[in-house]
Amino acid sequence: MFINAVFIILFLLGFYALIVKKNLIKMVIGLNLMEAAVFFWVISFSDIGGEVAIHKLNEAAVNFNDPVPQALTLTGIVIGASTAALLLTLIIELNKFTDTIDRDEIEGLNN
Amino acid sequence: MMSWMNIELNLLILLPAFSAPIILILDRINEKLRKIFVILSASLSLYFVTALFFANFTDIKKGSFFLQYTFDYFGGPFIINFSMDNLSLFFSLLISMAVFLIIIYSTSYIKYNKAKYYALFFLVAASIQGSVLTADLFTMYLFIEGITVFTTPLISFKKTEKTTEAAMQYLYYGIIGGVFFFISIILIYFNLGTLKIAETALGFSEISGPMQLTIIIFFLLSLIIKLGIFPIHFWLPKAHSACPAPVSALLSGVLLKVYLYIFMRIFWTMISFDYLIELHISTFIMDLALVSSLLGHIFALQEDDFKKMLAYSSIGHIGMILAVLMLNNQAAFYGAMLHIAAHLMMKSGLFLSSGYLLRTAGSHHIDELEGIGHKNRITFGAFVIICLGTIGMPPLLGFVSKWYILLAFLKGKHFFAALVTVLGSLIALFYYLRYISKAYAEVSPELKSASWSADFAELLHFLKGDQLMSTIVYVFTLLIIFFGFSFQYFDMPVNTAIIELLNPQKYIDLVLGG
Amino acid sequence: MHKNFKNITAVVVFILMGIAFYENFQLMPAYKGLGEGVSDYIIRSGLSETGSLNLITAVLYDYRAFDSLGESTVIFGAVSGIVLILSRKMLPVSSRGLSFIVKRTLGIITPFIALFSIYVITHGHLTPGGGFQGGVIFAAISIIFSIVYGSAFDYRRYSPQMKTAFETVGALTFLGLGIAGIFMEGYFLHNLGFLTAETGTLISAGSIPYINMGVGLKVGAGLAIIFYSMIQKTFKEEI
Repeated sequence: MFINAVFIILFLLGFYALIVKKNLIKMVIGLNLMEAAVFFWVISFSDIGGEVAIHKLNEAAVNFNDPVPQALTLTGIVIGASTAALLLTLIIELNKFTDTIDRDEIEGLNN
Repeated sequence: MMSWMNIELNLLILLPAFSAPIILILDRINEKLRKIFVILSASLSLYFVTALFFANFTDIKKGSFFLQYTFDYFGGPFIINFSMDNLSLFFSLLISMAVFLIIIYSTSYIKYNKAKYYALFFLVAASIQGSVLTADLFTMYLFIEGITVFTTPLISFKKTEKTTEAAMQYLYYGIIGGVFFFISIILIYFNLGTLKIAETALGFSEISGPMQLTIIIFFLLSLIIKLGIFPIHFWLPKAHSACPAPVSALLSGVLLKVYLYIFMRIFWTMISFDYLIELHISTFIMDLALVSSLLGHIFALQEDDFKKMLAYSSIGHIGMILAVLMLNNQAAFYGAMLHIAAHLMMKSGLFLSSGYLLRTAGSHHIDELEGIGHKNRITFGAFVIICLGTIGMPPLLGFVSKWYILLAFLKGKHFFAALVTVLGSLIALFYYLRYISKAYAEVSPELKSASWSADFAELLHFLKGDQLMSTIVYVFTLLIIFFGFSFQYFDMPVNTAIIELLNPQKYIDLVLGG
Repeated sequence: MHKNFKNITAVVVFILMGIAFYENFQLMPAYKGLGEGVSDYIIRSGLSETGSLNLITAVLYDYRAFDSLGESTVIFGAVSGIVLILSRKMLPVSSRGLSFIVKRTLGIITPFIALFSIYVITHGHLTPGGGFQGGVIFAAISIIFSIVYGSAFDYRRYSPQMKTAFETVGALTFLGLGIAGIFMEGYFLHNLGFLTAETGTLISAGSIPYINMGVGLKVGAGLAIIFYSMIQKTFKEEI
């Protein structure tokens, strides 16, 4: 299925950026790409060809898409945004000490 | 109308959560008021749990204790619910006790940025209680993410290069774990149309086989990252050693136990453990956990930084508990539960005393600790007792729990596991003795404290200033000694908690029927 | 050579992982809607129970309101964490900004952006949108101002205290409505029945519009605080 392929490609691209890239900002982008892939998959998978779950006045209810995954995704997006903000803050703070955002040049991040 | 029934469950989460903004507001008004409020709020949380325990004592003893709070419409199915059975109660009690003591300790340890520190600390406490009490998967995900987000600023509290790096690594792995958890949850939702743990448990067998495996693997990946089991463990020692002492105690003593609780909830109550055995995952996890346990102890042996050594030792203990849980029988659960309680007290005590030692020595490096045993003799004596408990010396609590774990391994004929347990204790003996012998090394007389009587005189001011910190350490020491002699007091709560693990059907019936 | 080898290995491993995942996800039965269970219940009786036309908002602020409360608590924690983490080391700020044309245009469109964000917040139960989305648009105003007028601008107009106050008011609105739910309807965060009006009007759907406003205030102020903490306000200006 097309959706699954897109999801897996996006997810693994994000994972690849997270593991291989040396730039800390690119790692954050990778993480966000992973999250975005999951959210994209949730929304498109729950689409059963119906309408968005919003009633119209004076019209009978039609075939609605499931509203719960959309609500969950909204919550997930907000949490993803706050964690990304925290990560970027930590990168800014680390940059003040080391003057670099390269993972290899920061000793404490190498294992 | 059953509106007021079991509202305590809700209060246990909301009280610390909304203490946080109130602390921030009160701090603007009056610092003294804020201090009083912090202690009041912490003790109220502890009071609620203990009151719940004593009010339902007969039910708990019979093993039929169950409370539930639902957010629902009359007639419709409820969407979110909190429930408390014996297993959650056991963890809730332990956690509230530890969090209360750690907060009291922080009142004299933390010297700057106090309001923000307490606000975040209370938010973490709320998330911990929430993840223990919730019976809904998505709410659990939310609380886990909450724990990650709220602890990260606490880890980088000292704002040095080292702490920032540690916090960053912690956050990276925390987020990855969270994403995996979310994938599992959403797969469950698409397959079963529910997010309730009880309903998922009922319908899990209807999911197709490969999908079951995917769900289990994503849950496992997430929890292995969070627990710091061997291949993905390197963030743990850094994060647990970078933060201030009370936060270390919270992370290592309390949070790891919460993840163990979530592990139990998911792999025993929700996904029946038979699936893990069927898919041969349980033996794999057991081997992984044992390797992790051994490596943790070995890494601790070569570590020169005191707090890092404690963190590596945590990896060793958590690996052992996880390995013994995989045996999946009554004896194993008994040892694991007892060791969870023991490790919670011992690691919190050790990390808190490390904070006190830092005040005296100025550094955590082994060379700086020379002669510290002569300075504050009583505190260091308490510290040595906790160390001995962690190694597993009779008659302390650590010995009892390790003994039952060893028995469980031997009964299950897992001799390699038994060997790892014994070997871990032996290695632990060496690495603790390294520090203790250094601390009691002979130093020039002016570095020693004046006399024993002066030390004892200090004890009288047990609530004043810095002395409060050592008082908390004494409390943990006394707990370890007391329960070492009379561990049968743990019998009742542990045994009733084990019933929940052995008989998940009871939880499912009670949640869906009540 | 060595570096290339590492990269190629990683790529190969990822491609293999991707194929394995793809095979696995192909086994998922196509989602046909459930026809039973919670989501079906919400689709059937969501409108009559909550009075909210937008069922996603009904899920967010009524059926799963506790999750939204937890989510706003996460934002609150992230904001105080970010303020705690960032140390006082100053970065240079600028009050020069962009050209005169951009500044004038911004002045003209700002009221419309604000109006749109208020529309999104207050019509959360009628049309797509809600507190979070509107709050983000609201925060965008102050971010655009900082880009156009230079990073020194916002400090003189709106102090951090004011934003923190907004955030607290938003959080207390949510909590207060939740507690009112206990006393008036019997459950925490239960929709308040007496506020319900005719379906489809602006103030219908019980407490949902008010929760939306609280969340909007909170998210808008919170995101603005995060942004301005990151660009590090100082009084030292670079011209």
